[in-house]
Amino acid sequence: MSRVISLATARKSAPPKMRIGLLRLTDGAPVIAADEFGFFAEEGVETELCVEPSWANIADKLCYGLLDAAVIVPPLAFNIHLGVRGAAQHLVIPYGVSAAGNSVTLSNALADDVRHRSRQSGVTPAVALRSVLKDHFVTFGVVHAYSTHNLLLRYWLETAGIKVGRDVQLAVVPPARAVEVLATGQIAGFCAGAPWGEVARRAGVGVPIAGSNDIWQNAPEKAFAVRARWAEEWPQQLCGAIRAILRGAKFCDAPENAEYTSALLSRRKYVDVEPHAILADLPGAAGSGRGCVFYRGATTFPWRSQGLWWLNEMRRWDLIDPTLDLRGLVADVYRPDIYRAAVMPIGESVPAADFKVEGSHRYNWVLDGSLSPIEMLPDRFCDGALFDPDAVESRLPPTPGVVVSTP
Amino acid sequence: MIDADAGRAEALARRLSETAFAAVEVLRAPDAAYLGETVERLKPDLVIVDMDLPDRDTLEGIRVVSDKHPIVMFAGGDDPAFAEEAIAAGVCSYNLSGVALQDVRPILSAAVALFRRHRRVESELAEAKARLDERRLIERAKAILMQGRRMTEPEAYRWLQKRAMDENRKLAQVVADVIAQHESLEKGERPGRNTP
Repeated sequence: MSRVISLATARKSAPPKMRIGLLRLTDGAPVIAADEFGFFAEEGVETELCVEPSWANIADKLCYGLLDAAVIVPPLAFNIHLGVRGAAQHLVIPYGVSAAGNSVTLSNALADDVRHRSRQSGVTPAVALRSVLKDHFVTFGVVHAYSTHNLLLRYWLETAGIKVGRDVQLAVVPPARAVEVLATGQIAGFCAGAPWGEVARRAGVGVPIAGSNDIWQNAPEKAFAVRARWAEEWPQQLCGAIRAILRGAKFCDAPENAEYTSALLSRRKYVDVEPHAILADLPGAAGSGRGCVFYRGATTFPWRSQGLWWLNEMRRWDLIDPTLDLRGLVADVYRPDIYRAAVMPIGESVPAADFKVEGSHRYNWVLDGSLSPIEMLPDRFCDGALFDPDAVESRLPPTPGVVVSTP
Repeated sequence: MIDADAGRAEALARRLSETAFAAVEVLRAPDAAYLGETVERLKPDLVIVDMDLPDRDTLEGIRVVSDKHPIVMFAGGDDPAFAEEAIAAGVCSYNLSGVALQDVRPILSAAVALFRRHRRVESELAEAKARLDERRLIERAKAILMQGRRMTEPEAYRWLQKRAMDENRKLAQVVADVIAQHESLEKGERPGRNTP
């Protein structure tokens, strides 16, 4: 009996369970693997994964303390931090979950047209799309206004001279609904995360014609966001959770584990689609060019320059108050210091800088790391722009595109 | 009202019409695929949504994407405890026409209560089912022991209980072990003595 009591006492003083929200998406893989393989438990972190049906649920549950952390699109994390939707909840992003993995998927008819024109005139799919859209106005779906998908799609359309509002209309369609809505013809295409482009292709409903890599090579995608108060109260647990997810990321990033990972994710309680549809966007997938990245190229490092890129685009499309101090905001939310404190003790080589110029590498490159050089991935933008964080106006109302210098 | 559970939605509509909200016209979104259009066409004052549906993102996007202000959950409501209660119950609402939260609060309270009860009934059902399953499995394990070890029924039950206590495990786990071992022996996967 005494043993039971002491256990109960111990549990009371133990740190709380970390409730982590995620959606039915392939890029939750490192967190799911860390949970399934007991990596969190080995770090002494008790977790509960909550697969939510909508970004709104993730946002509200973070806001009202029903979730402690989430695998989230960075623009929505800023939205919650700022209280754009209502109540604010301060968040920190100490870890990057994934890069790339999104697709622009068009209806079969539109995709045929685009590919035909693209081949005929030797232009990019984006430019071909512009000429197709001259003839008819269509609606594209994005998964949330404050999503990477909305911002990347807008960037891509803009570089081809396609104007949202004039040539195309954007509507919010939850990823899990995107395929059925594309099938009914209410939208002519969508930009969503894996596996939904591949699911549409397999259902014969649409064709992915471009991916994250066609817009911004290895574009940062999901981030791990934690309620700032939780992070302050339980720093050791947070560091443990980061190390656990990092282990999951290494597993999921290895091409030889892709089949296992897809089988795991396909379970009903996670993504709940057939494993082959998931496999197509995992690292090592043969030639899809859309695959998610979980570990390589310092993907797990929370680059402040990338946070600033999202904020700058949010300002460009009038999604945040233009008078906000973006640099201060990104310093509050993106926390490479926590990342370093968590992973340096286990011998991980980490970048020394918090910012880098984005978009200057067409090929793999090498970055100095704390222990050994880090092999980095290409990061070119589709229009060849360079994003120099030092050139970003921190507060002033921007003129669209002022930072993005096209060579 | 956006709810995949027709029974629950009808119950809420009925309750509202019975109370002070007799004048409230309750509209149900017929098809999730046309949700955005429906809401824009009907221009309701208040939208009540089942949080288990993915469609809230669509609702919130209606105005955001068209470059106007986002529609905000519990707009004007400065009551985090109430919001938390509603979210925990799995329901939330948007007041679109700028009606104040206190004016629609009784409606929301009714919805929260109904959703909460619904959830409780669901979890009670699941629990009852789990208990039934467990009892069935215990009977099975007892039968295996009675046959394999020539125990009486009370002896078999005590054996299971003692084992659970000795190994500091749940009775259900010990029961599951006994059955699993018996089944693998029956299939001839493992040679060995006929003991659980």
